[in-house]
Amino acid sequence: MDFFKKKDILIIIIILIVGIGFWYTYNNTPNDETVKAELYYYNELVMTIDLSQGIEKTFSIAQKPKVVFHLSEDGKICFIESDCPDKVCINTGEIYIAGQSAACLPNGLVLKIVSDDEDEKFDTIIGN
Amino acid sequence: MIKKTIIYIIITIVLLYLVACSNTGLKRYSAEFLFLFDTTTQIVGYSTSEEEFSDYVNFIHKELEEYHQLYDIYNEYDGINNVKTINDNAGISPVKVDKRIIDLLLFAKKAYQDTDGKVNIALGSVLSIWHEYRTKGVDDPENAKLPPLELLEKANSHTDIDNVIIDKLNSTVYLSDSEMSLDLGAIAKGYAVEQVSKAVEKKGLTSGLIIVGGNVRAIGYKGEDNEFWNIGIRNPDMQSDEGDLYRMNIAGMSIVSSGDYLRYYTVEGKKYHHIIDPDTLYPSEYYRSVTVICEDSGIADVLSTALYNMPIDQGKKLVESREGVEALWVYNDGEQEYSSGFFDYVSASLE
Repeated sequence: MDFFKKKDILIIIIILIVGIGFWYTYNNTPNDETVKAELYYYNELVMTIDLSQGIEKTFSIAQKPKVVFHLSEDGKICFIESDCPDKVCINTGEIYIAGQSAACLPNGLVLKIVSDDEDEKFDTIIGN
Repeated sequence: MIKKTIIYIIITIVLLYLVACSNTGLKRYSAEFLFLFDTTTQIVGYSTSEEEFSDYVNFIHKELEEYHQLYDIYNEYDGINNVKTINDNAGISPVKVDKRIIDLLLFAKKAYQDTDGKVNIALGSVLSIWHEYRTKGVDDPENAKLPPLELLEKANSHTDIDNVIIDKLNSTVYLSDSEMSLDLGAIAKGYAVEQVSKAVEKKGLTSGLIIVGGNVRAIGYKGEDNEFWNIGIRNPDMQSDEGDLYRMNIAGMSIVSSGDYLRYYTVEGKKYHHIIDPDTLYPSEYYRSVTVICEDSGIADVLSTALYNMPIDQGKKLVESREGVEALWVYNDGEQEYSSGFFDYVSASLE
Protein backbone atom coordinates (compact mmCIF):
# COMPACT_ATOMS: atom_id res chain seq x y z
CA MET A 1 0.00 0.00 0.00
CA ASP A 2 1.93 2.89 -1.36
CA PHE A 3 -0.86 5.40 -1.31
CA PHE A 4 0.65 7.34 1.58
CA LYS A 5 4.30 7.95 0.96
CA LYS A 6 6.73 9.40 3.47
CA LYS A 7 6.33 12.76 1.85
CA ASP A 8 2.56 12.62 2.28
CA ILE A 9 2.81 11.77 5.94
CA LEU A 10 5.20 14.68 6.31
CA ILE A 11 2.67 17.00 4.71
CA ILE A 12 -0.10 15.69 6.96
CA ILE A 13 2.11 16.33 9.98
CA ILE A 14 2.84 19.83 8.73
CA ILE A 15 -0.88 20.49 8.30
CA LEU A 16 -1.46 19.19 11.83
CA ILE A 17 1.29 21.39 13.28
CA VAL A 18 0.08 24.44 11.41
CA GLY A 19 -3.49 23.67 12.53
CA ILE A 20 -2.50 23.28 16.15
CA GLY A 21 -0.38 26.41 15.81
CA PHE A 22 -3.34 28.43 14.57
CA TRP A 23 -5.59 26.96 17.23
CA TYR A 24 -3.09 27.80 19.94
CA THR A 25 -2.61 31.33 18.66
CA TYR A 26 -6.37 31.80 18.34
CA ASN A 27 -6.96 30.71 21.92
CA ASN A 28 -4.12 32.72 23.40
CA THR A 29 -4.51 35.99 21.59
CA PRO A 30 -5.58 38.60 24.10
CA ASN A 31 -9.04 39.74 23.13
CA ASP A 32 -8.69 43.24 24.56
CA GLU A 33 -10.18 44.81 21.44
CA THR A 34 -13.49 43.19 22.13
CA VAL A 35 -13.94 44.21 25.77
CA LYS A 36 -16.63 46.81 26.30
CA ALA A 37 -18.64 48.26 29.14
CA GLU A 38 -22.40 48.40 28.81
CA LEU A 39 -24.42 50.85 30.85
CA TYR A 40 -28.04 49.96 31.56
CA TYR A 41 -30.70 52.29 32.94
CA TYR A 42 -33.65 50.25 34.21
CA ASN A 43 -32.74 47.33 31.94
CA GLU A 44 -32.40 49.52 28.88
CA LEU A 45 -28.97 49.72 27.27
CA VAL A 46 -28.17 53.43 27.16
CA MET A 47 -24.45 53.45 26.42
CA THR A 48 -21.66 51.19 25.22
CA ILE A 49 -18.12 52.19 26.06
CA ASP A 50 -15.08 50.74 24.30
CA LEU A 51 -12.50 50.05 26.99
CA SER A 52 -9.50 49.68 24.70
CA GLN A 53 -9.25 53.20 23.25
CA GLY A 54 -6.78 54.44 25.84
CA ILE A 55 -8.99 57.42 26.57
CA GLU A 56 -9.55 58.88 29.99
CA LYS A 57 -12.90 60.50 30.62
CA THR A 58 -15.42 61.41 33.28
CA PHE A 59 -19.06 61.37 32.24
CA SER A 60 -22.73 61.13 33.19
CA ILE A 61 -25.93 60.23 31.37
CA ALA A 62 -28.79 62.64 30.87
CA GLN A 63 -31.22 60.47 32.86
CA LYS A 64 -29.03 60.59 35.99
CA PRO A 65 -26.74 63.63 35.92
CA LYS A 66 -25.84 63.21 39.61
CA VAL A 67 -24.22 59.85 38.98
CA VAL A 68 -20.70 60.21 37.60
CA PHE A 69 -18.57 57.54 35.91
CA HIS A 70 -14.86 57.49 35.28
CA LEU A 71 -13.01 55.62 32.53
CA SER A 72 -9.25 55.41 32.89
CA GLU A 73 -6.67 55.11 30.13
CA ASP A 74 -5.95 51.49 30.97
CA GLY A 75 -9.57 50.56 30.30
CA LYS A 76 -10.93 50.40 33.84
CA ILE A 77 -14.29 51.90 34.60
CA CYS A 78 -16.14 52.80 37.81
CA PHE A 79 -18.77 54.89 39.55
CA ILE A 80 -17.09 57.87 41.24
CA GLU A 81 -20.05 59.93 42.40
CA SER A 82 -23.65 59.10 43.23
CA ASP A 83 -26.52 60.58 45.22
CA CYS A 84 -27.63 57.13 46.47
CA PRO A 85 -27.82 56.39 50.21
CA ASP A 86 -25.51 53.35 50.43
CA LYS A 87 -22.70 54.13 47.90
CA VAL A 88 -22.39 50.42 47.10
CA CYS A 89 -21.85 51.43 43.47
CA ILE A 90 -18.77 53.50 44.35
CA ASN A 91 -17.50 50.91 46.83
CA THR A 92 -17.47 48.30 44.06
CA GLY A 93 -14.43 50.04 42.60
CA GLU A 94 -12.95 49.70 39.14
CA ILE A 95 -14.13 46.90 36.88
CA TYR A 96 -12.56 45.79 33.59
CA ILE A 97 -12.78 42.00 33.14
CA ALA A 98 -15.63 40.48 31.11
CA GLY A 99 -18.06 39.05 33.66
CA GLN A 100 -17.69 41.86 36.19
CA SER A 101 -20.47 44.30 37.00
CA ALA A 102 -21.26 47.22 39.26
CA ALA A 103 -24.72 48.50 40.12
CA CYS A 104 -26.46 51.45 41.70
CA LEU A 105 -29.92 50.09 42.57
CA PRO A 106 -31.43 53.31 43.94
CA ASN A 107 -30.67 54.92 40.57
CA GLY A 108 -31.52 51.87 38.47
CA LEU A 109 -28.06 51.73 36.88
CA VAL A 110 -25.98 48.70 36.01
CA LEU A 111 -22.50 48.83 34.52
CA LYS A 112 -21.39 45.55 32.99
CA ILE A 113 -18.21 44.39 31.29
CA VAL A 114 -18.85 42.26 28.23
CA SER A 115 -16.75 40.65 25.55
CA ASP A 116 -17.64 39.79 21.95
CA ASP A 117 -15.61 36.66 22.34
CA GLU A 118 -17.85 33.61 22.72
CA ASP A 119 -15.19 31.89 24.78
CA GLU A 120 -15.25 34.41 27.58
CA LYS A 121 -12.94 33.39 30.34
CA PHE A 122 -15.62 33.91 32.97
CA ASP A 123 -19.34 33.28 33.11
CA THR A 124 -19.44 35.67 36.04
CA ILE A 125 -17.09 37.19 38.57
CA ILE A 126 -17.99 37.63 42.22
CA GLY A 127 -16.23 39.44 45.01
CA ASN A 128 -15.63 42.56 42.97
CA MET B 1 -1.89 13.58 -7.55
CA ILE B 2 -5.40 15.04 -7.73
CA LYS B 3 -6.64 12.27 -5.43
CA LYS B 4 -4.01 13.14 -2.89
CA THR B 5 -4.78 16.82 -3.08
CA ILE B 6 -8.41 16.02 -2.40
CA ILE B 7 -7.41 13.94 0.61
CA TYR B 8 -5.30 16.82 1.96
CA ILE B 9 -8.21 19.16 1.54
CA ILE B 10 -10.54 16.75 3.35
CA ILE B 11 -8.07 16.35 6.23
CA THR B 12 -7.77 20.11 6.49
CA ILE B 13 -11.54 20.58 6.51
CA VAL B 14 -11.96 17.92 9.19
CA LEU B 15 -9.27 19.59 11.31
CA LEU B 16 -10.82 23.01 10.86
CA TYR B 17 -14.19 21.59 11.76
CA LEU B 18 -12.84 20.05 14.97
CA VAL B 19 -11.13 23.29 15.91
CA ALA B 20 -13.83 25.75 15.01
CA CYS B 21 -17.16 24.17 15.78
CA SER B 22 -18.94 22.51 18.56
CA ASN B 23 -22.26 22.07 16.91
CA THR B 24 -24.96 21.96 19.57
CA GLY B 25 -28.65 22.72 19.47
CA LEU B 26 -28.55 24.81 22.64
CA LYS B 27 -27.78 28.51 22.58
CA ARG B 28 -26.58 30.74 25.36
CA TYR B 29 -28.95 33.43 26.61
CA SER B 30 -28.81 35.79 29.54
CA ALA B 31 -31.15 38.16 31.34
CA GLU B 32 -30.91 40.55 34.22
CA PHE B 33 -33.17 42.22 36.68
CA LEU B 34 -32.75 44.69 39.49
CA PHE B 35 -34.06 45.10 43.03
CA LEU B 36 -34.78 41.57 44.25
CA PHE B 37 -33.00 40.93 47.57
CA ASP B 38 -31.54 44.41 47.40
CA THR B 39 -29.11 43.48 44.62
CA THR B 40 -28.90 42.58 40.94
CA THR B 41 -29.93 39.19 39.56
CA GLN B 42 -28.46 37.63 36.45
CA ILE B 43 -29.76 34.50 34.77
CA VAL B 44 -27.66 32.62 32.23
CA GLY B 45 -29.13 29.64 30.45
CA TYR B 46 -28.59 27.29 27.52
CA SER B 47 -31.86 26.84 25.72
CA THR B 48 -33.23 25.75 22.35
CA SER B 49 -34.94 29.10 21.71
CA GLU B 50 -35.28 32.58 23.09
CA GLU B 51 -38.95 31.91 23.92
CA GLU B 52 -38.07 28.87 25.95
CA PHE B 53 -35.41 30.84 27.84
CA SER B 54 -37.84 33.71 28.46
CA ASP B 55 -40.28 31.25 30.01
CA TYR B 56 -37.59 30.10 32.42
CA VAL B 57 -36.58 33.67 33.22
CA ASN B 58 -40.18 34.70 33.92
CA PHE B 59 -40.62 31.70 36.14
CA ILE B 60 -37.41 32.41 38.08
CA HIS B 61 -38.31 36.08 38.44
CA LYS B 62 -41.81 35.33 39.69
CA GLU B 63 -40.55 32.77 42.19
CA LEU B 64 -37.68 34.92 43.47
CA GLU B 65 -40.02 37.89 43.81
CA GLU B 66 -42.40 35.85 45.97
CA TYR B 67 -39.55 34.76 48.23
CA HIS B 68 -38.27 38.33 48.34
CA GLN B 69 -41.65 39.64 49.48
CA LEU B 70 -42.13 36.88 52.05
CA TYR B 71 -38.69 37.40 53.62
CA ASP B 72 -38.75 41.22 53.50
CA ILE B 73 -38.37 42.96 56.88
CA TYR B 74 -38.80 46.53 55.62
CA ASN B 75 -41.89 46.54 53.38
CA GLU B 76 -45.48 45.35 53.54
CA TYR B 77 -47.29 43.79 50.59
CA ASP B 78 -51.02 43.56 50.02
CA GLY B 79 -52.52 40.29 51.15
CA ILE B 80 -49.22 38.82 52.38
CA ASN B 81 -48.07 38.10 55.90
CA ASN B 82 -44.31 38.37 55.68
CA VAL B 83 -41.38 38.56 58.10
CA LYS B 84 -42.16 42.23 58.76
CA THR B 85 -45.65 41.15 59.88
CA ILE B 86 -44.03 38.67 62.28
CA ASN B 87 -41.74 41.41 63.65
CA ASP B 88 -44.61 43.86 64.00
CA ASN B 89 -46.50 41.30 66.06
CA ALA B 90 -43.63 40.44 68.42
CA GLY B 91 -45.03 39.90 71.92
CA ILE B 92 -48.56 40.41 70.59
CA SER B 93 -49.70 37.36 68.69
CA PRO B 94 -48.70 34.46 66.44
CA VAL B 95 -48.87 35.24 62.73
CA LYS B 96 -50.16 32.81 60.14
CA VAL B 97 -47.58 32.61 57.35
CA ASP B 98 -46.75 30.84 54.10
CA LYS B 99 -45.00 27.46 54.38
CA ARG B 100 -41.95 29.00 52.72
CA ILE B 101 -41.42 31.19 55.80
CA ILE B 102 -41.86 28.25 58.18
CA ASP B 103 -39.35 26.19 56.16
CA LEU B 104 -36.78 28.98 56.13
CA LEU B 105 -37.10 29.58 59.89
CA LEU B 106 -36.63 25.87 60.60
CA PHE B 107 -33.59 25.92 58.32
CA ALA B 108 -32.31 29.00 60.19
CA LYS B 109 -32.71 27.33 63.59
CA LYS B 110 -30.65 24.42 62.36
CA ALA B 111 -28.07 26.83 60.96
CA TYR B 112 -27.81 28.45 64.40
CA GLN B 113 -27.03 25.05 65.96
CA ASP B 114 -24.59 24.06 63.21
CA THR B 115 -22.57 27.26 63.45
CA ASP B 116 -22.32 27.66 67.24
CA GLY B 117 -24.66 30.64 67.07
CA LYS B 118 -22.53 32.57 64.58
CA VAL B 119 -25.55 32.94 62.30
CA ASN B 120 -28.54 34.19 64.29
CA ILE B 121 -31.70 35.38 62.55
CA ALA B 122 -32.98 36.72 65.90
CA LEU B 123 -30.28 39.39 65.95
CA GLY B 124 -32.60 41.97 64.37
CA SER B 125 -32.61 44.37 67.32
CA VAL B 126 -28.79 44.67 67.16
CA LEU B 127 -28.56 44.78 63.36
CA SER B 128 -31.18 47.52 63.08
CA ILE B 129 -29.05 49.78 65.30
CA TRP B 130 -26.04 49.23 63.04
CA HIS B 131 -28.21 49.77 59.98
CA GLU B 132 -29.37 53.13 61.31
CA TYR B 133 -25.86 54.33 62.26
CA ARG B 134 -24.42 53.11 58.95
CA THR B 135 -27.10 54.82 56.84
CA LYS B 136 -26.59 58.10 58.71
CA GLY B 137 -22.82 57.72 58.49
CA VAL B 138 -22.81 57.22 54.72
CA ASP B 139 -25.14 60.16 54.28
CA ASP B 140 -23.14 62.47 56.52
CA PRO B 141 -19.56 61.14 56.75
CA GLU B 142 -18.30 64.12 58.81
CA ASN B 143 -20.60 63.20 61.68
CA ALA B 144 -20.46 59.41 61.37
CA LYS B 145 -20.62 57.71 64.75
CA LEU B 146 -20.35 54.23 66.22
CA PRO B 147 -23.30 52.89 68.20
CA PRO B 148 -22.51 52.89 71.93
CA LEU B 149 -21.74 49.41 73.29
CA GLU B 150 -24.37 49.76 76.06
CA LEU B 151 -27.05 50.30 73.44
CA LEU B 152 -25.93 47.21 71.52
CA GLU B 153 -25.72 45.12 74.70
CA LYS B 154 -29.18 46.17 75.77
CA ALA B 155 -30.54 45.19 72.34
CA ASN B 156 -28.64 41.91 72.56
CA SER B 157 -30.75 40.83 75.55
CA HIS B 158 -33.55 40.39 73.01
CA THR B 159 -31.88 38.01 70.57
CA ASP B 160 -32.68 34.57 71.95
CA ILE B 161 -33.55 32.37 68.98
CA ASP B 162 -35.55 30.07 71.30
CA ASN B 163 -38.11 32.87 71.55
CA VAL B 164 -38.95 32.30 67.90
CA ILE B 165 -41.92 29.98 68.37
CA ILE B 166 -42.74 28.00 65.25
CA ASP B 167 -46.01 26.09 65.05
CA LYS B 168 -45.57 23.91 62.00
CA LEU B 169 -49.00 22.33 62.26
CA ASN B 170 -50.88 25.63 62.23
CA SER B 171 -48.24 27.36 60.10
CA THR B 172 -47.76 30.23 62.57
CA VAL B 173 -44.74 32.08 63.96
CA TYR B 174 -44.67 33.98 67.22
CA LEU B 175 -41.88 36.09 68.70
CA SER B 176 -42.47 35.75 72.43
CA ASP B 177 -40.14 38.67 73.29
CA SER B 178 -41.81 41.93 72.31
CA GLU B 179 -38.43 43.68 71.84
CA MET B 180 -37.02 41.13 69.44
CA SER B 181 -37.04 41.06 65.65
CA LEU B 182 -35.92 38.80 62.84
CA ASP B 183 -33.33 39.76 60.22
CA LEU B 184 -32.83 37.16 57.51
CA GLY B 185 -30.13 39.04 55.59
CA ALA B 186 -27.47 36.36 56.06
CA ILE B 187 -29.63 33.49 55.03
CA ALA B 188 -32.71 34.33 52.93
CA LYS B 189 -31.05 35.03 49.58
CA GLY B 190 -29.09 31.78 49.41
CA TYR B 191 -32.04 29.75 50.63
CA ALA B 192 -34.41 31.31 48.08
CA VAL B 193 -31.93 30.83 45.23
CA GLU B 194 -31.60 27.15 46.16
CA GLN B 195 -35.36 26.55 46.19
CA VAL B 196 -35.89 28.42 42.92
CA SER B 197 -33.04 26.68 41.12
CA LYS B 198 -34.41 23.28 42.17
CA ALA B 199 -37.84 24.30 40.91
CA VAL B 200 -36.60 25.53 37.53
CA GLU B 201 -34.51 22.40 37.12
CA LYS B 202 -37.68 20.37 37.65
CA LYS B 203 -39.33 22.49 35.01
CA GLY B 204 -36.70 21.36 32.55
CA LEU B 205 -33.78 23.79 32.57
CA THR B 206 -30.68 21.61 32.33
CA SER B 207 -27.94 24.20 32.05
CA GLY B 208 -27.97 27.58 33.75
CA LEU B 209 -26.65 30.02 36.31
CA ILE B 210 -28.66 32.01 38.82
CA ILE B 211 -26.55 34.84 40.17
CA VAL B 212 -28.05 36.99 42.92
CA GLY B 213 -25.45 39.44 44.22
CA GLY B 214 -22.56 37.40 45.58
CA ASN B 215 -24.53 34.13 45.40
CA VAL B 216 -23.94 31.93 42.38
CA ARG B 217 -25.90 28.74 41.80
CA ALA B 218 -25.02 26.57 38.81
CA ILE B 219 -27.65 24.27 37.34
CA GLY B 220 -25.99 21.33 35.64
CA TYR B 221 -23.03 21.75 33.33
CA LYS B 222 -22.45 24.58 30.89
CA GLY B 223 -24.08 23.91 27.52
CA GLU B 224 -24.39 20.45 26.04
CA ASP B 225 -20.78 19.40 26.10
CA ASN B 226 -20.52 18.85 29.85
CA GLU B 227 -18.20 21.80 30.26
CA PHE B 228 -17.70 23.43 33.63
CA TRP B 229 -18.94 26.92 34.39
CA ASN B 230 -16.12 29.41 34.91
CA ILE B 231 -16.73 31.52 37.97
CA GLY B 232 -14.21 34.20 38.87
CA ILE B 233 -13.50 35.04 42.49
CA ARG B 234 -11.73 38.32 42.81
CA ASN B 235 -9.51 39.34 45.65
CA PRO B 236 -11.49 41.95 47.57
CA ASP B 237 -8.42 44.16 47.75
CA MET B 238 -9.55 46.94 45.42
CA GLN B 239 -5.99 47.92 44.54
CA SER B 240 -4.99 44.47 43.42
CA ASP B 241 -4.85 43.53 39.78
CA GLU B 242 -5.97 40.51 37.77
CA GLY B 243 -3.21 38.53 39.46
CA ASP B 244 -5.41 37.69 42.39
CA LEU B 245 -8.29 36.22 40.50
CA TYR B 246 -9.25 32.57 40.80
CA ARG B 247 -11.06 30.80 38.02
CA MET B 248 -13.35 28.21 39.61
CA ASN B 249 -14.80 25.27 37.67
CA ILE B 250 -18.16 24.11 38.94
CA ALA B 251 -21.23 22.19 37.76
CA GLY B 252 -24.40 21.81 39.81
CA MET B 253 -22.77 23.65 42.72
CA SER B 254 -23.00 26.98 44.52
CA ILE B 255 -20.43 29.63 45.33
CA VAL B 256 -21.13 32.36 47.88
CA SER B 257 -18.83 35.16 49.00
CA SER B 258 -19.16 37.30 52.12
CA GLY B 259 -17.03 40.37 52.43
CA ASP B 260 -16.52 43.77 53.93
CA TYR B 261 -15.93 45.64 50.69
CA LEU B 262 -19.37 46.80 49.52
CA ARG B 263 -21.53 47.78 52.47
CA TYR B 264 -19.68 49.82 55.03
CA TYR B 265 -19.24 53.27 56.49
CA THR B 266 -16.23 55.06 57.80
CA VAL B 267 -15.79 56.46 61.32
CA GLU B 268 -12.62 58.44 62.05
CA GLY B 269 -10.82 56.82 59.14
CA LYS B 270 -11.79 53.25 60.00
CA LYS B 271 -14.23 51.18 57.94
CA TYR B 272 -17.12 49.44 59.66
CA HIS B 273 -18.94 46.93 57.47
CA HIS B 274 -22.28 45.18 57.75
CA ILE B 275 -21.47 41.65 58.97
CA ILE B 276 -21.93 41.75 62.74
CA ASP B 277 -20.40 39.08 64.97
CA PRO B 278 -23.19 37.94 67.37
CA ASP B 279 -20.56 37.49 70.13
CA THR B 280 -18.85 40.89 69.99
CA LEU B 281 -21.83 42.82 68.51
CA TYR B 282 -19.30 44.61 66.29
CA PRO B 283 -18.30 44.04 62.66
CA SER B 284 -16.17 40.94 62.48
CA GLU B 285 -12.51 41.74 61.75
CA TYR B 286 -10.94 38.38 61.04
CA TYR B 287 -11.03 38.56 57.23
CA ARG B 288 -11.69 40.71 54.20
CA SER B 289 -13.72 37.98 52.58
CA VAL B 290 -14.74 34.36 52.84
CA THR B 291 -15.96 32.24 49.93
CA VAL B 292 -17.75 28.92 50.29
CA ILE B 293 -18.32 26.24 47.65
CA CYS B 294 -20.89 23.50 48.18
CA GLU B 295 -23.92 22.08 46.48
CA ASP B 296 -26.70 23.85 48.40
CA SER B 297 -26.79 27.61 47.96
CA GLY B 298 -28.63 28.10 51.27
CA ILE B 299 -25.95 26.22 53.20
CA ALA B 300 -23.22 28.08 51.30
CA ASP B 301 -24.80 31.39 52.34
CA VAL B 302 -25.03 30.36 56.00
CA LEU B 303 -21.48 29.04 56.08
CA SER B 304 -19.92 32.07 54.40
CA THR B 305 -21.38 34.32 57.11
CA ALA B 306 -20.55 31.87 59.90
CA LEU B 307 -16.93 31.46 58.74
CA TYR B 308 -16.59 35.22 58.38
CA ASN B 309 -17.43 35.51 62.09
CA MET B 310 -15.02 32.78 63.27
CA PRO B 311 -11.29 32.47 63.87
CA ILE B 312 -9.55 30.32 61.26
CA ASP B 313 -9.10 27.20 63.42
CA GLN B 314 -12.77 27.03 64.28
CA GLY B 315 -13.71 27.77 60.66
CA LYS B 316 -11.46 25.07 59.21
CA LYS B 317 -12.83 22.56 61.68
CA LEU B 318 -16.36 23.43 60.64
CA VAL B 319 -15.59 23.14 56.92
CA GLU B 320 -13.64 19.89 57.19
CA SER B 321 -16.40 18.34 59.33
CA ARG B 322 -18.89 18.75 56.50
CA GLU B 323 -18.75 16.71 53.35
CA GLY B 324 -18.66 18.53 50.03
CA VAL B 325 -17.83 21.95 51.48
CA GLU B 326 -14.74 23.96 50.53
CA ALA B 327 -13.71 27.48 51.49
CA LEU B 328 -11.29 30.32 50.80
CA TRP B 329 -10.41 32.86 53.48
CA VAL B 330 -8.74 36.15 52.56
CA TYR B 331 -7.17 38.14 55.41
CA ASN B 332 -7.00 41.90 55.62
CA ASP B 333 -3.37 41.87 54.44
CA GLY B 334 -4.24 39.72 51.38
CA GLU B 335 -2.88 36.48 52.85
CA GLN B 336 -5.09 33.49 52.16
CA GLU B 337 -6.13 30.19 53.70
CA TYR B 338 -7.85 27.29 51.93
CA SER B 339 -9.74 24.18 52.90
CA SER B 340 -8.15 20.87 51.91
CA GLY B 341 -10.10 20.41 48.66
CA PHE B 342 -10.44 24.02 47.53
CA PHE B 343 -7.98 23.70 44.67
CA ASP B 344 -9.93 20.80 43.20
CA TYR B 345 -12.28 23.49 41.89
CA VAL B 346 -9.62 25.94 40.72
CA SER B 347 -8.87 25.68 37.02
CA ALA B 348 -6.35 28.47 36.97
CA SER B 349 -4.97 31.12 39.23
CA LEU B 350 -4.21 33.84 36.73
CA GLU B 351 -0.96 35.07 38.14
